[in-house]
Amino acid sequence: MPSRPAYVVPDPAQAELTRRELLQAGWKVGGGLLALAAGWTTIEALRPLAATGGGATLTLAPPDAYADGAASYVREGRLWITRRGATLHALAQKCPHLGCAVPFCEASGRFECPCHGSIYDVEGTWIAGPAPRGMDRHPLQVVDGRVVVNTAILEEGAPLGTPSRAPGRDGRCAPAAEG
Amino acid sequence: MTPRPTLRDRWRATALHRSIVRTPPLDSPRGRALHAFGNVFLHLYPVRVPRALLALRSTWRLGFVSTVLFAILAITGIYLMFFYTPAVTFAYGDMQALRTQVGFGQLIRNVHRWAGHLMVIAVVLHLVRVFVDGAYKAPRQFNWVIGVLLLLVTLAWSFTGYLLPWDQLAYWAVTVGSDLLHYVPVVGGTLRDFLLGGTAIGQAALRRFYVIHVAVLTLAFLVLMAVHIWRVRKDGLAVGDPPVAHDPAAPARETALAFADAVAEVAEAAPAAASRGGARVLGHVPRDEAPLARPRDPDDEVFTWPHLIVRHQVVALATCALVLAMGVAFEAPLRELANPSVTPEPAKAPWYFVGLQELLAHFDPLVAGVLIPTALVGALVMLPYVDRNPSRRPRDRRVALTVFWLLFGALVALTVVGAFFRGPGWAFVPPWVQLYFEP
Repeated sequence: MPSRPAYVVPDPAQAELTRRELLQAGWKVGGGLLALAAGWTTIEALRPLAATGGGATLTLAPPDAYADGAASYVREGRLWITRRGATLHALAQKCPHLGCAVPFCEASGRFECPCHGSIYDVEGTWIAGPAPRGMDRHPLQVVDGRVVVNTAILEEGAPLGTPSRAPGRDGRCAPAAEG
Repeated sequence: MTPRPTLRDRWRATALHRSIVRTPPLDSPRGRALHAFGNVFLHLYPVRVPRALLALRSTWRLGFVSTVLFAILAITGIYLMFFYTPAVTFAYGDMQALRTQVGFGQLIRNVHRWAGHLMVIAVVLHLVRVFVDGAYKAPRQFNWVIGVLLLLVTLAWSFTGYLLPWDQLAYWAVTVGSDLLHYVPVVGGTLRDFLLGGTAIGQAALRRFYVIHVAVLTLAFLVLMAVHIWRVRKDGLAVGDPPVAHDPAAPARETALAFADAVAEVAEAAPAAASRGGARVLGHVPRDEAPLARPRDPDDEVFTWPHLIVRHQVVALATCALVLAMGVAFEAPLRELANPSVTPEPAKAPWYFVGLQELLAHFDPLVAGVLIPTALVGALVMLPYVDRNPSRRPRDRRVALTVFWLLFGALVALTVVGAFFRGPGWAFVPPWVQLYFEP
């Protein structure tokens, strides 16, 4: 029988990295890279588009069109334009509590959330209910005699405890909340 | 004189029939065992089950009912997919067309909706039953965790499906439900925007919810359910276990020791084979036996076919009859077209989240919306690893049972108050004055 060259088993103590260790580490690194690629692809693909969040600059009516203590709804911006004294506000309709659309109650002269009973005055300052802050607002300017609102920017509402400067009226729209 | 062979006998003698059903006739124990063993569908069951399992009160068949409801939901869901477009301009019209144009369209939608609600109830009751019986204890700890994941998938399924009709009920319940996410510290707002595909619910959210509802969760559920049932089959049913395990770790340790012995034995007999990666060593572990399966007394066991199978058939038929009757009797609600400018009063989350909404009226959103739900799910997952009491007897588990019933009672109470006792502005309105609840 022809003799075959003997297979020399490498001494694991001498080798810094055996073939088996290299392969074992290799497939773990490969798997990790694949997971990274899959995660990155998924996050990039599912990243929300900025355009879906509004962002248009809205040119509205002249400032005189908004009466003191009243609120008018701007459907395309999902916001309210309100006035107290000489100051105009652009308040986002979305309740800072859980995102319900907050309607303006003519009877009380305040914003009353139908979901959990949060109440805000005509300037969006928090008065009652479980909301964490006042209503969020967009920057509002008067340009060429017209109200201009930039809906791309949303500023957080006034913190809890900010005193309300706008007195309400006696009526109520929703019954008082328990919580 | 031998009786003439019937048509059925002749069919069974054909090569075609014998190529399809390859096991002996079912009138012998051998035939029954081989039938259960060789049939891919019956293979979900063990060949023999504990005799105690035949009593309805042993499990109330709640896991099986959940599976049947899943099948009903899959079938009715496929029907609905033929008539539904996940686009904000079409979705609501498609729901109306189901009612007015598609034959039995509204019935299919009703059955789908009621089966979905019933599945949430069945899965929760299954969890309660398994807890009360202590069936999550060793060696079944991890299967309890799989079960908790299946509950979460079921809730996510119901929640994503809630948006699809695109009416006021759907739009605002999902707005309130998904806005909870933004109270998660640091990443919450980003999480919500990823789920919705934007900062508010719109076309992107509808498409995402649709794909998650029909594809992602279905795949996740099928994989989890396969593992769940496989493990029940391998571990045996807890119903047949003794009430107190002497040492839950003992069987595992014995198996591990036996395995180590086998490895050593093979390594001694054939060093070359052992050094080649141990493939032959693994051959010494019996392939079809669960490492933790205990020997049972054969007298306490019965064949799955027909004893358990016929009972399951009755339960499956009863479940189908119930959802069909509900579908005939009660209409699935459809309010006005979704209007992002007007929130209806009151805006309630789907009923299984209404307890959370009730909690939100009393506590800080971070506590009620994030910390408490996370703690509850975490406690459920950790339960079998924290509760190491080997006994399944109620008198040995007073603390565990008391804590469980208190928490479960609180959850039910919050849900009932939120669902039936809340009106516009979340004010307290008893249902006998005015009922503000839509399922």
